[in-house]
Formats: sequence, C-alpha cells, structure tokens
Amino acid sequence: MNGPLILVWLAVIVLAVMVWRREGVVGLKEGGVSALGIAKTLSLRLPLALLTASFLIHIIPVEQMTRLIGPTSGLAGIITAALVGGLLPGGPMTSFPIAIVFMHAGAGVPQMVALVAGWSVFAMHRMLAYEAPIMGWKFIALRMGSSLILPVLAGLFAEGIVAVVGEIALP
Amino acid sequence: MKIARTDIVFAALAAITGGITYARFGGGAVWESVERAGTLLLVVLPQLAAGLLIGGLVTRLVSREKVARWLGGSSGMTGLLLASLAGLLTPGGPFTSFPMVYALWIAGADAGALIAFISAWSLLGFNRLIVWELPLLGVEFTMLRFVVCLPLPVIAGLIARRLGRWSAFRLDDPAGRAE
Repeated sequence: MNGPLILVWLAVIVLAVMVWRREGVVGLKEGGVSALGIAKTLSLRLPLALLTASFLIHIIPVEQMTRLIGPTSGLAGIITAALVGGLLPGGPMTSFPIAIVFMHAGAGVPQMVALVAGWSVFAMHRMLAYEAPIMGWKFIALRMGSSLILPVLAGLFAEGIVAVVGEIALP
Repeated sequence: MKIARTDIVFAALAAITGGITYARFGGGAVWESVERAGTLLLVVLPQLAAGLLIGGLVTRLVSREKVARWLGGSSGMTGLLLASLAGLLTPGGPFTSFPMVYALWIAGADAGALIAFISAWSLLGFNRLIVWELPLLGVEFTMLRFVVCLPLPVIAGLIARRLGRWSAFRLDDPAGRAE
C-alpha cells in the first residue's frame, strides 16, 4: 500500500459512511450498482488501452526532440515543448524521468514549464487509457479545444517571471 | 458481454501499435510491453475500484439540483472556481478523477465546470506534485510551474463554455450515452 492509495480508500470509507447515514444500505447498494456499471464498460477496453500505451513507449522518439526546445528557442520552443510534453508516454513514473533527460540536455526553463504543463493537459496516454473509455471522444474534443493554449500560456507566464526574478535553480 | 464500437477502436489501436513495435523492435519488445501493461493493470486496479466507488457514492450524496446550482450552466465564475478547487483537491490518478468527472456530468455539472475540474486536477493536483515533480524537478521549478498554471483551469472553463455553442463541441446528455 502506498500513500495515495490509502488516501483514496479512506475517501471511499468516509463517503460510504455518509451515504449509509443518509440512505442506509439501499444507498450503498445503488452507489455500488452505478460503479459496477462503469466497471463493466471498462473491463475490455482498459486492458487494451494500457497495452497500446506501453507499445507507444517504444515507438515515440523522445531524445531526438531535445534540440528544438533550448533556452533561446522562445515562443516556437514553448509551442514545441508543449507538443513534446503531450507525446511523453506513460504516467508520472515514466514521464517525469524523461522530463529530467530533457532538462539535463539543456532545455530552457519556460520550455520545461510548457513541457510539463503539456504533458499534464494533453497526456495522450491518459486520454487513450482512461478519458476516452470513460468520457467519450466528444468530451475529449471539447477538452482539447478548451486547453490547447494552456501550456503555451504557462510557458509565456514563466518566461515573464524568469525575466523578472532571474534564473531558476534546477536540481 | 456486449462489445461496443469503442472497444473495437481500442483493439485496432493495440494491434497497430503492437505491429509497429514488432516490426521495428522485434518480439522481445512486444512481450516486454505486454508484461508492462499487465503490471500496470494490477497497480491501477485498486485505485480504479476506489475511483468508481467514489463516483457512485458521490452521486448518492449530491443531489442533481445542488450540482446543477453550484456547477451548472448558470453557475458563472463561482462555479468555475469551485470546480477548479475541487479538481485541485481530488486525490489519485486518472482512474480516480475521470469516474468523478463522469459522476459530476451525470449530476448536472456543465461543460465549463467539467473542463475546469479536470484541468485543475491535471495541472495543479497536489498528489503528483508532491510524489513526482518536487523530488525530481526541484522546489524552485515546481513552484514556478504551479504558480503559472494557477489561473489556467478557469480560463479553460471559460473557453469550454464558449466552444459549447458549436455543436461539434456540445456534449450529449450523459443519460443518453448508449454503451
């Protein structure tokens, strides 16, 4: 058991007690039925989606992209970094280690901000594995349309802050 | 078990990416990917189960009228701020957060609130920040990244409400989502 897992199950217990106190066993049953409904929908597509995601880790060429996002690459570099971030494969356990590779290879700080924000917002892997199966493609279209400029904004804000406070210390 | 069109899309995606992996890196890489996916599934399952239960329980606790009032189409700026705060505080990975978005959707939250919630969760979520970003990318970088991302979920929610005027971006009623 790790910390986050304990936290989410604690949340389940707290919510279950709240539901039980308000509606009794019937409420708990109804909640379980609704959870089971989504679980059934996911039973086939989630394993397939995870499989696709782990194939992608092999296919995407990560290190060749570093040259394009140096500290002097400006807005073009920020946009590129946001896209690269969106293509980073895997969850945080694979993408953050890859982000460090970019950082040590000489990516600029605003570009790194755009990259991490791009990964957070676009995360192709997360979209395929969880968002599409649960929310559907139309929701993804809306979310992509709404968040297209977010990583670029983050990079530009960061460039502004770095210009004022000076260089940021990196590990 | 019923096989929906979405399932066929996922099977095709797995087959195509698997084929490319085999052609370029051989059978070993394919097997390694299968193993990784299997491990990932086992890791994810307990959190996914929790996420689905949270979603199911939340629908019992929060009435349709309340969600519609707090996070519905006429909740204005307050709704977007509330949704962003909820997203920031939501623990766990995508297997927890997306079932919650789905539950809020069923309960009557509007597109802007849903987008603000999921954007806040993905950009500002404390969980990942503490577990991954802080130790790997350092305090100064993480603080900078957090601060510049702070206003973004509300911006995304506002854009989503604008986009909702076009039918291509308008969400269907979740109750009518046949699976």
